[in-house]
Amino acid sequence: MTAPSTEKFIVPIGPQHPALKEPAHFEFTVDSEMVTASSARFGYVHRGIEKGAENRNWIQALYLVERICGICSNAHSTAYALGVEKLAGVQAPPRALAIRQIFIELERIHSHMLWAGVAAHEAGFDTLFMYSWRDRETVMDLLEAISGNRVNYSMNVLGGVKYDITPALSDAVLRGIDLLGKRLEYYLDVATTEETFVQRTRGVAPMTAAQAESLGTTGPTARASDVQRDVRVDSPYLLYDQFPVTLVTETAGDLQARFTVRIKELFESLRVIRALLEHLPPGELTARMPRRVREGEVVSRVEAPRGELFYFIKSAGGENPYRVRVRTPSLCNFSSVLVGVIGHRVADIPMILAGIDPCFSCNDRSVIFRRAGEDDASAKGGSLPSAL
Amino acid sequence: MTNTESLLAQAVDLIGDRATVQHTLEPNRFDLAVEPAKLLECIALLTSAHWGYLAAISGLDHGPDSGRLEMLYFFCNKAAVITLRVPLARETPRIPSICGLIPSATLFEREQMEMFGVVFEDTPNSDHLFLPDDWPAATYPLRKDFLTPAPPPAPEDSKGSLP
Amino acid sequence: MSDVPAGLPKPWTRMLNSVQTWSRIHSPWAIHFNTGSCNGCDIEILATLTPNFDVERFGILLQGSPRHADVLICTGPVSLQARDRLRRVYEQMPEPKFVVAVGSCSLSGGVFQGCYNVLGGVDKVIPVNAFIPGCPPRPEAIIDGIAKLLGSLQEKKPEVKK
Repeated sequence: MTAPSTEKFIVPIGPQHPALKEPAHFEFTVDSEMVTASSARFGYVHRGIEKGAENRNWIQALYLVERICGICSNAHSTAYALGVEKLAGVQAPPRALAIRQIFIELERIHSHMLWAGVAAHEAGFDTLFMYSWRDRETVMDLLEAISGNRVNYSMNVLGGVKYDITPALSDAVLRGIDLLGKRLEYYLDVATTEETFVQRTRGVAPMTAAQAESLGTTGPTARASDVQRDVRVDSPYLLYDQFPVTLVTETAGDLQARFTVRIKELFESLRVIRALLEHLPPGELTARMPRRVREGEVVSRVEAPRGELFYFIKSAGGENPYRVRVRTPSLCNFSSVLVGVIGHRVADIPMILAGIDPCFSCNDRSVIFRRAGEDDASAKGGSLPSAL
Repeated sequence: MTNTESLLAQAVDLIGDRATVQHTLEPNRFDLAVEPAKLLECIALLTSAHWGYLAAISGLDHGPDSGRLEMLYFFCNKAAVITLRVPLARETPRIPSICGLIPSATLFEREQMEMFGVVFEDTPNSDHLFLPDDWPAATYPLRKDFLTPAPPPAPEDSKGSLP
Repeated sequence: MSDVPAGLPKPWTRMLNSVQTWSRIHSPWAIHFNTGSCNGCDIEILATLTPNFDVERFGILLQGSPRHADVLICTGPVSLQARDRLRRVYEQMPEPKFVVAVGSCSLSGGVFQGCYNVLGGVDKVIPVNAFIPGCPPRPEAIIDGIAKLLGSLQEKKPEVKK
């Protein structure tokens, strides 16, 4: 009779990623089906952007930071543009600020709907994935109609925005918003009452407010645990002081709360977009920016779809930025996953990971790395530990 | 006094004379110059008073000629932002780890370690976070003496002024 | 590795080849691989599966394993580490195989040209059959590029690439 083994079994997940089309590497130590420990290794999408920004002039760097992430590219370019304008002592005109705010909220809608679809796909709920991505096309069409591109819209220039919202476009946006409002009501209903979906999300990976704060979480992940934190409310930028959003929080702190917070936030986004379109300030779209930005340092914070996006920009008085430090929200939220999975089943891991809406390209600004022995390891984990 | 001003005043009060206050070009932001030896004390005061949260840690290289590196710790409380600035010698930059007080800082410390070559004493994990394992040793990409090529030149007709 | 066993009478070889070509053109299985992209191209590729674009009506299925795939769809500027992984994925695919490079980054490195850690283009590592430019290309452009690739297969016998 053989003695029971005391060896631990480690499930490596990634770099082919289970929850998103992005690479990262996690290792979960399991005892039968329960996770007992976890660790992570990133760096899979590292491109050297912070250094790249130093080798480019202020305008070129704008296009670079916009491509840190395709999903929240507007948040990055807005944070950067606001920071550089502050440094240069330039205020973009009110119409530009309003259009920027409309775009940041439209981006939030597309990002949360994208996430809802992917998270539903992780739960095996492909119908919701198809529905939400089909409805998301409404937003994509609006973004394209105004800016000319569906992703990486390049709306911002230093000093303002490139494209105007004409009355015709404004009508189209309002019609699109009405449609989205109805669809979002439906998704909220599904997330809270659809029994099979609820069973995969209610009570899964709960996090108290104290835990969320100590783990440094931000964004909807933190607000789902009743942490009252949202840069749009705490430190209003653009026109959020005149067209504010209400803080949306939940108390349960579980996966279901993370769903409902995101959907409810979108109702706020729709409301703000409507208000902005009805009161769009007239005037110029851009203000003049100098080619060299005077010496100084600035901090620029915006609320990206995933949480607080933090930019520290330093100018040495030249044509190139001296330092651009980008701290993205996903980096803060990973600790909550590494702690949250413990005590849960392996099958819940993809959902828990999806719950923070991870964005590895934001997180890493890094390159992909693959270790030997990973050949055709399937994305769903559960493969035997390779030579890592 | 606005809410932001009172929050800033509160932080300055907490830290007392352990740091030197410097104003910045933004009214909602103060810089606090702190010596490495006093860093943990200052952070402990902020965390025990629940003053805001650690938003980011960033290294800053003032160039090989200056002989200086700096490590910046950003704390945010609503709209108020304070930056603890810790000067470090470029040749041997050592600074205490703050992970004992703020465990989630480990990811930030790992990133700054590999990018600037700063040693965080007693940090729980000093593996590379973003750089690959086979990255050459003692090569710190975000230092000013690590040179990368500039992008290809822009076409002639784009040399006009900013829009 | 040849597709059809050698030594068969010519009519059999011709028939088996045309069946293979027909099945590859009419139902290519694809694997998607991200070599360090910002995700823009990847979400547009994913969007092709969704109802508005519905690439599955062309018989294209997105697979998880390179060993089941006919087409490799690549995004990203290829980081130094991704190079080995990309090569390995390519080698695991059975012949004949085709590579589609999606987005400016996989064509030339895009905005990331010159950044440390970035090679600058998928064709620096593996041979590419179709380039789809854009930042990111629209889902329609992606489908068009793949359809053009499949169309070019129809015109000639697929050559076995070594």
